[in-house]
Amino acid sequence: MNPFEYKRAGSVGEAIREGQPVGAKFLGGGTNLIDLMKYDVEEHDKLVDVTRLPLAKTTESEGGLMVGALVKNSDLAQDPRVLGRYGVVSKAILQGASPQLRNLATTGGNLLQRTRCYYFYDTALPCNKREPGSGCGAVGGFNRIHAILGQSDQCIATHPSDMAVAMRVLDAVVMVEGPKGKRSIPIADFHRLPGDTPQIDTNLQHGELITGVMLPSAAAHTKGTYVKVRDRQSYAFALVSVAAIVDATGKFRLALGGVAHKPWRAEKAEAYLAGKPMTKENFRAAAEAELADAKGYEHNAFKIELAKRTIVRALTEVS
Amino acid sequence: MQPNDLTVGQRAPDFEGRVEGQTTVLAFFPDDWDPARPAQLAAYREALRSLPGGAHLLGVTQDDAWMQLDTAEEGPVRFPLVQDSRLAQAFGVEGKQAVVVVDPEGIVRWAHVGPVGGSPNLEELTASVRRAQSPGLSRRSLLVTAAAAGLALAFLPGKAHAEALGFGGAGVGGAAPKGERTITLNVNGKAMKVAVDPRTTVLDALRERMGLTGTKKGCDHGQCGACTVHINGRRANSCLVLAMQAEGDKITTIEGLAHGDDLHPVQTAFIKHDGFQCGYCTPGQIMSAVACIKEGHTKDDDEIREWMSGNICRCGAYPGILAAVKEAATQ
Repeated sequence: MNPFEYKRAGSVGEAIREGQPVGAKFLGGGTNLIDLMKYDVEEHDKLVDVTRLPLAKTTESEGGLMVGALVKNSDLAQDPRVLGRYGVVSKAILQGASPQLRNLATTGGNLLQRTRCYYFYDTALPCNKREPGSGCGAVGGFNRIHAILGQSDQCIATHPSDMAVAMRVLDAVVMVEGPKGKRSIPIADFHRLPGDTPQIDTNLQHGELITGVMLPSAAAHTKGTYVKVRDRQSYAFALVSVAAIVDATGKFRLALGGVAHKPWRAEKAEAYLAGKPMTKENFRAAAEAELADAKGYEHNAFKIELAKRTIVRALTEVS
Repeated sequence: MQPNDLTVGQRAPDFEGRVEGQTTVLAFFPDDWDPARPAQLAAYREALRSLPGGAHLLGVTQDDAWMQLDTAEEGPVRFPLVQDSRLAQAFGVEGKQAVVVVDPEGIVRWAHVGPVGGSPNLEELTASVRRAQSPGLSRRSLLVTAAAAGLALAFLPGKAHAEALGFGGAGVGGAAPKGERTITLNVNGKAMKVAVDPRTTVLDALRERMGLTGTKKGCDHGQCGACTVHINGRRANSCLVLAMQAEGDKITTIEGLAHGDDLHPVQTAFIKHDGFQCGYCTPGQIMSAVACIKEGHTKDDDEIREWMSGNICRCGAYPGILAAVKEAATQ
């Protein structure tokens, strides 16, 4: 780890002020950031510890449930309001990481996790995300865990979060605060596709702090599932995952994890299903529609069929 | 006893931690002096390297309970501490930095006493060692005396100290760490002061600075669970939490589970059901299991497996671990 300055922020205002210099970074649960810094994948001059800020509450608010950015993953997963109205979030969180990691990991930090691409983590190898212009080790390398949707020639990394996939299916809204004030970012616009700038994961600006995530009332559901397929039964990242809910209007909503640089909303599948009877055949056809443009590589082409089957299974569970 | 009790050649006051028949080197730490500064630890290491096997190094704190220092780079060299302000009084070194050598017969053989922050003159030090090397001292005492001179070097602050050790003015190990400071960590119900660099994790602070080596370092990246401790009553990977982040938190380690010789029921169950082979993951497994039971995630075998999945056992002792958690959950 490079030497850095540690600063514990006592208020949101102080955190934002301290977080402005180039080289400053907010520190939440640290489960990804400290890991990356130990590998020298990330280097920061100053860590602004935000874990003591008063952002660890979940409150009812106009339009939905406002989850504080510092609500721990374990607390969010067992919040009765989440279990009752946004079950898919709880299910997704509990299938990610381990109990002790979920006790540290925060809601805001979870959204900001970086890819677990092996080439990103290995500083001896090229990676356009870590070092723009150095090339991509994964395209022609071991790419079993990599993207099949929305990737570019520059980067085929996937976003590792389970929670974010559930929040994508809910159309959650990310609340942020920065030197210019507050703004909200729909989760659809929060994470980015790699394009020619794979080094930029999200549309959060430097020095902006996530203060909370709004789970909208319109996405409250009683039928929701999170199906995660992985190499071992527990404590592993998704090869493919599917969050599915039936929302308040009776509409089927779907989002995929482990397949793209961002949580992938299955809009084509949703459109296909609109107004059609809920049959296995239609589920399969919806899945085919979603994966029509998918592109596999040497080691991950299996994910295309796996994603289709996982979509069918998730839809079957909620129908 | 009066301060003038500290006279070379005279009988030393009796003290806790003295081993009959062994030479003891006592290092007195005044309250406002931090014995855990890395540069000073390096000096202790130097000194300890030349200590003969039977000599006994003892730290004496005068107020706050300092952590037990583990000055070993290799091998189990320990620096036990006693907290006894009366002892400093008895030796007449209250509020001062001091090093005293007491021989196997309990006779003071060498002493250096200085004010806090003061640095002994190197030439004087050398001279005291020469004086101590007078006939009548056993070979062991002689070696210890020489070692004590090395130990006293630890009192040299900053640049002078580094130069004395032959590291030049740049400090030990290159650039001085940015932002190092002494923090207080609450571990197993005790407030302990420890000097840390911002990069120091809770795991490293426990193991390398506080002598609490029960918590294990496995992967150091949050993937294996060997470093699991409880922070404010909840299990957490101590390898991913900065020590400075944990200031103000209550930390419980494997050392804090048992009550004296009475093992925690989970510890007993692990022994009974052979919940380990090599034992390296065991402290983390046990800390995790205690939390798993407290959380109520022990409904059936599958639930226990899922909620214990953050602790990897390379020996594959999972059946024993499962049985232990199951049994302990019923108690």
